[in-house]
Amino acid sequence: MPSLRSIRSRIKSVKNTRQITKAMEMVASAKMRKAQQRVIDTRPYAEKIYDLMHRIAYLERSFPNPYFEVRPVRTAGIVLVSTDRGLCGAINANLFRSLTRFMKERPGTNFEFVTIGRKGRDFVRRSGLPLQGVIHGVKDRGTIEEILPATQVVIEEFYAKRHWEEVWIFYTQFESIMSQKPRHEKLLPIDPQFLTEKIPAGLSGEYLFEPDRRDILDVLIPRYFETVIFQRVLENFASEYSARMVAMKNATANAKEVIYGLTLTYNKLRQANITKEISEISSGAEAISQG
Amino acid sequence: MAFMLSLMTQERHLLSEEVDYIQAKGVEGEFGVLTGHTPFLTLLDIGELLVRNKEALYSYFVAGGVVEVLPDRVTVLADTIERAEEIDGKRAEEARQNAMEALKQPISPESRLGYEQVLKREGVRLGILSRRHSTRHPGSLEE
Repeated sequence: MPSLRSIRSRIKSVKNTRQITKAMEMVASAKMRKAQQRVIDTRPYAEKIYDLMHRIAYLERSFPNPYFEVRPVRTAGIVLVSTDRGLCGAINANLFRSLTRFMKERPGTNFEFVTIGRKGRDFVRRSGLPLQGVIHGVKDRGTIEEILPATQVVIEEFYAKRHWEEVWIFYTQFESIMSQKPRHEKLLPIDPQFLTEKIPAGLSGEYLFEPDRRDILDVLIPRYFETVIFQRVLENFASEYSARMVAMKNATANAKEVIYGLTLTYNKLRQANITKEISEISSGAEAISQG
Repeated sequence: MAFMLSLMTQERHLLSEEVDYIQAKGVEGEFGVLTGHTPFLTLLDIGELLVRNKEALYSYFVAGGVVEVLPDRVTVLADTIERAEEIDGKRAEEARQNAMEALKQPISPESRLGYEQVLKREGVRLGILSRRHSTRHPGSLEE
């Protein structure tokens, strides 16, 4: 039987926890709203440039370009976007599970990583996989500059060294506050197979380029994967805050339940003690009056 | 015959609407687009983007980026876009004055280039302001 005092101190500690989880819920919900707005603002550009690049790759398929060339894959590079911090439900665990499945499905391929976010870095290290670049501490209100070191690694490994034959990105897509899905996309090479919409009818020729093909592609290609990587980082932020908000809301509700249960036990015990004391007094008094 | 125009930057989606005609400034010069244009890709210079929809004419300040022209649609992926009425004339004038002052001093070629860019930018902004074509914009997404 626990003592009254020990129950009282547990109630107090759970109340403290509830206060913390409540505060974290509110912080996450404020940040989530901003992050969600940013996701909505940045999606159209990322979608358009993704389609544009794949359309160019399709129309320009007769012109050799290292970024469009599909090579047999020995080593694939993976840009792994995860959160810096925990307490955000299972989004990182789900992402890593889908990544593990992805790697299992490609037994002959070596995988190398660039991580954005501490959790992903820890996962890659724990799994003993090669890490080519690490970014963490990206701010949710930051700009594209913060992820440029990751794109440097991509250019170096895919284009300069031709060491990676493919580059994929793994992140958690924001669908709604209640739903965030682990996703992966192929960033490079730009393979027209992955065009999300049909090539418009009558569009069979080539583009007219001004100034010329090379100048435009030199500008567009890095911008394409910078923009897509950065947008996916923003998706991941919105997912992180939503998941944290829900996790903290649940934790707050749990704490409430525990407090209710403990208070009930506490009151019952107190009542039992009072009853016991009264019966002791009254039986004592009876003994005196009979003596 | 109208075509679909989408205007956006990495951080902002300004417009997706059917329009009749646009005119923009590419790095190789100004060009106009009507429906049925041949597939065309160009880099954008600092300049004015004009959009005509029926009787209305709208003006935007655009700096850098790329335009994709297809027979049935045009996509402008700009580095910077402002609606004409969003341009802050006072700020532009100040920036221009500062740049002109700085260019009078002996400075390194790199910073000279930087200030000349500022001068060009703010000059275009002020130019657009001085001949504001319209005060209203089609289906603004933020309203």
